[in-house]
Amino acid sequence: MPTKATRRAPITPPRPLGLAPRKPDEVAALYELTDRLYRAETPSDVYSAALDAIENALSCDRASILLFDEAGVMRFVAWRGLSDAYRAAVDGHSPWKRGERPPQPIFVSDIAATDESDEIKRAILSEDIVGLAFIPLVARGGVVGKFMTYYDHAHAFTAREIELAVTIARQVGFSLERTQADQARAAAEEALRDSEERFRLMLENAPAMIWMSDTEGGCLHLNRRLREFWGVPDNGIDGASAFDWTRTIHPDDAPDLLARMGDALARRAPTQVRARYRNARGDYRVLVTDAEPRFGETGEFLGVIGVNTDVTEREEAERALRESEERFRLAVEAAPSGMVISDEEGTITLVNEQAERLFGYERHELVGASIELLVPAPSRAAHADMREGQGGERRKRIMGADRVVTARRKDGTEFPAEIGLSPILSATGRLWLAAVVDISERRRADAQRDLLLAELNHRVKNTLAVVQGIAHQTFKGGGATPAARAAFEGRLHALALAHSMLTRTNWSHAPLTQVAGDALGTAAVARHRIAISGPTLLLAPKAALGVTMALHELLTNAIKYGALSNDQGTIELKWELVEGSPARFRLEWRERGGPPVTPPARRGFGSRLITRILADDLDGDVQLGFEPDGVSCTMTAPVARLAEA
Amino acid sequence: METPDMDPLDGKRILVVEDEAVIAAMIEDMLEDLGAVVVGPVNTVARGLALAGDAAIDAAVLDVNLRGERVDPVARLLARRGVPVVIASGYGESGEFEHDGAVLTKPFTLADLGRVLESALRDAGDQSGGRLVTQT
Repeated sequence: MPTKATRRAPITPPRPLGLAPRKPDEVAALYELTDRLYRAETPSDVYSAALDAIENALSCDRASILLFDEAGVMRFVAWRGLSDAYRAAVDGHSPWKRGERPPQPIFVSDIAATDESDEIKRAILSEDIVGLAFIPLVARGGVVGKFMTYYDHAHAFTAREIELAVTIARQVGFSLERTQADQARAAAEEALRDSEERFRLMLENAPAMIWMSDTEGGCLHLNRRLREFWGVPDNGIDGASAFDWTRTIHPDDAPDLLARMGDALARRAPTQVRARYRNARGDYRVLVTDAEPRFGETGEFLGVIGVNTDVTEREEAERALRESEERFRLAVEAAPSGMVISDEEGTITLVNEQAERLFGYERHELVGASIELLVPAPSRAAHADMREGQGGERRKRIMGADRVVTARRKDGTEFPAEIGLSPILSATGRLWLAAVVDISERRRADAQRDLLLAELNHRVKNTLAVVQGIAHQTFKGGGATPAARAAFEGRLHALALAHSMLTRTNWSHAPLTQVAGDALGTAAVARHRIAISGPTLLLAPKAALGVTMALHELLTNAIKYGALSNDQGTIELKWELVEGSPARFRLEWRERGGPPVTPPARRGFGSRLITRILADDLDGDVQLGFEPDGVSCTMTAPVARLAEA
Repeated sequence: METPDMDPLDGKRILVVEDEAVIAAMIEDMLEDLGAVVVGPVNTVARGLALAGDAAIDAAVLDVNLRGERVDPVARLLARRGVPVVIASGYGESGEFEHDGAVLTKPFTLADLGRVLESALRDAGDQSGGRLVTQT
């Protein structure tokens, strides 16, 4: 729309050419029309000016203006003295098609005398119209509409009237052309402004750092993100151009960056650069800049437009990942075991030097090869099956127990290996870390130790046998009773038994059930008369020896005087754990069905041995009972003492 | 059914191979207490072999190690003759010695020795009895 400042000033009327001098009112009407059309700002200004001119110049009191609409149908846009019914009846009626050229005006002095359809004639006559004229309105050489004059009587149009009508139509046509063009331009300008504003807002608020430079690299524009980054005030281009961005570049990066940017400007070529810049808070951030040259409508170089991306965190994360990977690699390398990492397909991805040495392969021979290369041929299929079975399980699996397997070296020889297998969940999927230890040496050492232990046991037993032999000879001459000799042999035998059992467990712990079974097993004939029951309880060697000796004494006494001295007596041996602090263990020996018991007159070696062993060695509390119905022995001791070596 | 024998070791000739003199003496004493007749004792594999080859023997009690030599040849020779062998060893059941017959773990009592020897003689008797039946 033209602004107030550009409103056109009135002009003097042009002198019409090639026409006889007009009557003053006609001239005045044409002059006024020209002036009003010149000032018209909207189509309705044009229409009312035209209608005024038509009425004044052509001496009619009814007139109308019609234009083709977008669909090409002639529609009323302005009128005087016409009924709604009439306009509706003749709406869309046109003697010409849109754009037709050159259209000729039609002057009808009496509608009744024309070839028009009866329908049209009826509509016209009912509006009390007899004479009328169709004057085409032309813009850009083609018909765009018409204006009409109406008379309630037959009207013969004079040459002068026709000339005036055509003159008015031409003026109106020009004016319509101009206002339509003005409107179109205004609409286009507004659309462009809207588009530019949207684009500007988008640029300003984009979640990226966007800038524009002049041909020398000086700042023309920084968007909000970038202004915030550098702390540049929000006062637009002036603020930006006063800002020297090059001063924020890290001194170490500046020479290279400026050279590259200078080169891109000189070559007017796209470029990508990376550098550290100091932000408003004084921190250095790593920005990657993608820049493109800018060119004007006529192709002149205007400068550069660029986007900066802050990659500080990304680079930090990448560096941390690299360091983490490097640490992991170093840890694997430094591990004392052979380390072999394989992926879910069983392909080896990493090995350490120990693994190279262990298997006799070079690193490059292992990485990329199948893990089954290290498995002896007969076990390969089973290994692959097991591996795939594990891969199928998505949940994490901690392989607690190490497995002993046979591994194969490059030269085909094999060695026993202990393998600790751990899953590693990495970004690329699950990996398996196998820590491989050659246990040949350990196996040899174990065998050696077992041999020594067996030999030691043999010698101890032999020594006990020698002691037995000496005692045998000694007692024989010294007049000891056969009972005394038997008691001695029995005790020596119990000691040897406990010793034997502890050898079987490599002198670690022995279960009480087994200790009791061995100690009471000598009474083979009475086995079904002895009931042993109690929870699993492990005894340390010293406790096992003590319990064995004590049970032997009780058993010997039972055979000689107690429940096993007749045919019906029974022995019940049971133990239980008693909750408490400290937790205690309670063992009970109970004889029943033997001959009536009489308490011994004096305390024998047997009961002394029982009390000493159980009370002193095991910190226990011992009760020996000599009730008439059978001997009983109850002992309680802290559980912890039993397991102490 | 066999007639129950009140004293099954009475008069049985038992070979004793044992290199520890005190133990050998004790075994000798124990066997005499059980009513058996002691063949030996001898303390080397060579002397054991000499007796095992042709002496009249009903059963044998052998130590495993004789001055560093294993008693196996003596045991094999006796086994071929069908003489039951009792191995007396400090190694016990976990020892290295491969032996199908009875084992006595040192130290053992008079009762242990008697029981194991009786059992060994009974097993041997059952086997020979079986042979006789098939021959008839």
